[in-house]
Amino acid sequence: MTAHRRITDPVEAMAQRVAERVVDLVLQVLDVNAILAQVDVNALLARVDVAALLERVDLNAVLARVDTAALLDRIDVNALLQRIDMDALVEQTDLGAVIARSSGGVAGEALDAARSGAVGLDQSIDRWVQRALRRKQRAPSAPRALLDGEAQTVTDAPASAGRGTPEPPGQTPLRGFPGGEDQPPTPPDGVPPARPGEAPAREATE
Amino acid sequence: MSAPVPARSVTAQGHYAGSVSRLLAYAIDLLVSSGVFTLALAAISYVVQIVTGNQVSWNRQNIVVVILYVAWEFFYFGYCWAVSGRTPGMAVLGVRVVRADGAAAEPRRGVVRSLVFPLSFLLLGLGFLGILVQRERRALHDLIAGTAVVYSWDARGARLRFLAREAEQAVSPAGASPLTGDAGAAPGR
Repeated sequence: MTAHRRITDPVEAMAQRVAERVVDLVLQVLDVNAILAQVDVNALLARVDVAALLERVDLNAVLARVDTAALLDRIDVNALLQRIDMDALVEQTDLGAVIARSSGGVAGEALDAARSGAVGLDQSIDRWVQRALRRKQRAPSAPRALLDGEAQTVTDAPASAGRGTPEPPGQTPLRGFPGGEDQPPTPPDGVPPARPGEAPAREATE
Repeated sequence: MSAPVPARSVTAQGHYAGSVSRLLAYAIDLLVSSGVFTLALAAISYVVQIVTGNQVSWNRQNIVVVILYVAWEFFYFGYCWAVSGRTPGMAVLGVRVVRADGAAAEPRRGVVRSLVFPLSFLLLGLGFLGILVQRERRALHDLIAGTAVVYSWDARGARLRFLAREAEQAVSPAGASPLTGDAGAAPGR
């Protein structure tokens, strides 16, 4: 075995050197560009299964190696923006609807705030007057027709289910008044009331 | 588990409206009606000047202007109350005129209310005292016309939302909601 190697190893080395020399000589003679010009690259690419090739590529790993900040530094954003046709963009956008939606929300919120402020003052003044007049009996909070069925509603509401004490008159759904019976329920203690915008104040009598 | 929420309402819709809401509504109406009247006078002056070439000037001492203004105010309030039960100012503040028993006010009540409305002023403003001290918050003109003024919107619910919004804005940037398990959850109760 060792003797065999002593003969074959030098021969293989010589054959290697001869082959390299031959290839060099051939390449020097050949016009590679002329050969490539004869190759139909499109046909070659058509035979390539790109999908299978991409499946083998780990894009996440590739992207992780990309320095995005450096990439963005090389981008001239101003030049990019100048190429955008803003007129065409605006034409495609229903700006009127956007403005109406946003201003409507703002106006509604402002109206809500103004009305709520007034109601707060109404209640405060009413409390002061009640105290000043030393009224023991609570005044009716709404006209009779709008309070129809209130007693029944209060009786129906078990004390254990709510705050434990019956509501004073007028703090129950009002019958006979449009929209008076389908208001959102009283949130239990500790539960936030409806958020602004979730249930905008509505003009039930509109 | 918390007990099921009872079907109770937080609304003040239909409750007697308070003095501040009514006063603000009246102030808005006064601004609107006076503004419209002034614009109308200006328009009339302009037209007269174009047609006749004479310049017309109006002033508060002019009896014609005073009569026109009073008539316009009667029309403004009377028409609004008769047709819809509320003026533009009342619509902004979310209050409306109803019959004393809560039913929708008939047009004639709206007209009567506007006619007797000045009485509350003429008695040194004492006619309005009823809004503060009367059990049903009815002023003198309400008692005569058989009307009352109520909230026509979900005033109490909106008040809760308003206070909740304020509480949310007042919270620290730490992010904890002030409305969770807090007394702030039930403002205005």
